[in-house]
Amino acid sequence: MQTATEAPSSFRSSALRPGPLGLIREASGEILRRRRLIRHLMDADIKRKGADTILGNVWWVLDPVIQMGAYLILLTVIFQRSTPDFPLFLFAAILPWKWFASSISGAVNTVVRQERLIKQVQFPKIVLPVSALVAEILNFAFGVLLMLLILFLAFPAHATINVLWLPVIAVVQFVFTLGLALIVSAVNVFYRDVGILMGHLIRLWFFLSPTLWSFDSTVGRFGAIEAALGETGVAILRYNPFAILLTAYRDVVYGRVDLAGTGFTPGQSPELVQLGILFLISVGMVLLGTIIFKRLEPAFAKVL
Amino acid sequence: MGDGASAARDYAIETRDMGVRYSLRFTKKTSIRRSFARLLHPERGERSFWALRDVSFRVDPGQSLGVIGPNGAGKSTLLQVLAGIIQPSEGVVEVHGHVSTLLHLQAGFDQDLSGRGNIHLAGALLGIDHRLMEEREESIVEFADIGAFIDAPLRTYSSGMRAKLGFSIATAVDPDILLLDEVLQTGDEAFREKSQGRIREVLTAAKAVVLVSHDMSWITDFCNRAILLEKGRIVADGSPEEVVALHVEKSEKRRTIRRAVMEDMRTGKREPKRRRKIIEAATQGSSGKGASGRGASGGGGSRTGTDEGPC
Repeated sequence: MQTATEAPSSFRSSALRPGPLGLIREASGEILRRRRLIRHLMDADIKRKGADTILGNVWWVLDPVIQMGAYLILLTVIFQRSTPDFPLFLFAAILPWKWFASSISGAVNTVVRQERLIKQVQFPKIVLPVSALVAEILNFAFGVLLMLLILFLAFPAHATINVLWLPVIAVVQFVFTLGLALIVSAVNVFYRDVGILMGHLIRLWFFLSPTLWSFDSTVGRFGAIEAALGETGVAILRYNPFAILLTAYRDVVYGRVDLAGTGFTPGQSPELVQLGILFLISVGMVLLGTIIFKRLEPAFAKVL
Repeated sequence: MGDGASAARDYAIETRDMGVRYSLRFTKKTSIRRSFARLLHPERGERSFWALRDVSFRVDPGQSLGVIGPNGAGKSTLLQVLAGIIQPSEGVVEVHGHVSTLLHLQAGFDQDLSGRGNIHLAGALLGIDHRLMEEREESIVEFADIGAFIDAPLRTYSSGMRAKLGFSIATAVDPDILLLDEVLQTGDEAFREKSQGRIREVLTAAKAVVLVSHDMSWITDFCNRAILLEKGRIVADGSPEEVVALHVEKSEKRRTIRRAVMEDMRTGKREPKRRRKIIEAATQGSSGKGASGRGASGGGGSRTGTDEGPC
């Protein structure tokens, strides 16, 4: 009888749980051993999103383009904003934002959705949010290809060698997203309120992050903003993780808007110190998220 | 007990003083508001319920253990613990060997993957090596016998086809330890016959079996030992014939009592004297071990939705 497995076959379970370090070791082992499971779940996830649509996975590319178009109309036609090469300016920030928003809203419900499975099969639950996030990477990668196409064909004046920073920024964003996703997906099992709340929080976060605006393009009005938000408000605005990330994306793809607001300087290298600090914080969040997830995991089958 | 980790084990499953507690604080409908209310009134909160308590038994290789008991006795919870799905709240469970549960006939199915895709997804979920799964793919497809549908997405399947595919996957890989919850009545007549044969095959091939069934003939036919669970505790442990006899006797008694209560409810008048007489008549015949007259309400009233049969 053959018993080749990708999971440990014998086990001993008791009320005792390993300490934080043990939990992290356990989780990373599970993710490595269950690569195939993650891939299959990812496959299913992608198929689920493409099912019942005529265009299928073409929506991956159309989605951000249409969203960009909507904001383009809103801001140029209705609010009469004039930032040079506005489509690229918008796209450079909306694309990564969309990646984050759909990653989190997808991951929040991954554990809850697999209720039946969790009650009937023993498998490491951490693969659920992880596979959801991996599926979103693919989506984002297609979007980036499209963005590069737009950059080189429509706005070649912005293109510099600095676009090569893109993967680095994306890694920081992914790590940050992973940490948050682990926490919200686990806590959502106990309090479904988290899922609902996250939807609203993400929308608020969108407007408070430099997606439709940038710290450069608000130059003339910044005094008014500071007066409205106060010093801490401005600090939160400036150092919120997505202010750092989106500014970095825009720096390398679009460049910067001139002080006058009519010209631009092409792509440049991002603020590496800020990115580095954010990366370290994100790694800390992943560790914390893993511990929280693994601590709550044994209760999933009972609570769901 | 850190020693003997590498020594040869002479048992397949062992549980020692094992208990599973369900906290009723986190039921499905918990909201943050309720949790705050609980913080303010701690004396009203912290209700918990032991689904299993002081459960100790051992299953040796070659043994097949039957688990019987009334609804809500903790049979399904016991299988979940043995499968590693639920961790015990106290005590220890040790399982040596690759466990397969037939609990999950269709649990892991994904609606948008094809039948083949689902075979591999199920294999990956159960942690079966993908090479082994590829090897078995054809025999699974053949056994399921659903024709060209095997390459169509699962949402196009009829429920019979789903059941057939689920059964074929669940029994495709020979496990060391087989956990079986209820016997699976799936598909049409012909398939049912074929599947019964396959279950017998898997049962005899496995190193150890734990079988939960309401069908007493399965317990006496396939098991060489049985335990009787009542309200989360083992009340009898012995040969299948003895334990089944005790269980049948006890459920007969419960039924008589329930009938008496129902009769009272229907007539609308309470006749405690008559009821007591009936109960006495029912209890008189029992002299079996552990017969302490518990479970007057059928033993199933205390559970709240945690023990619905998974299949």
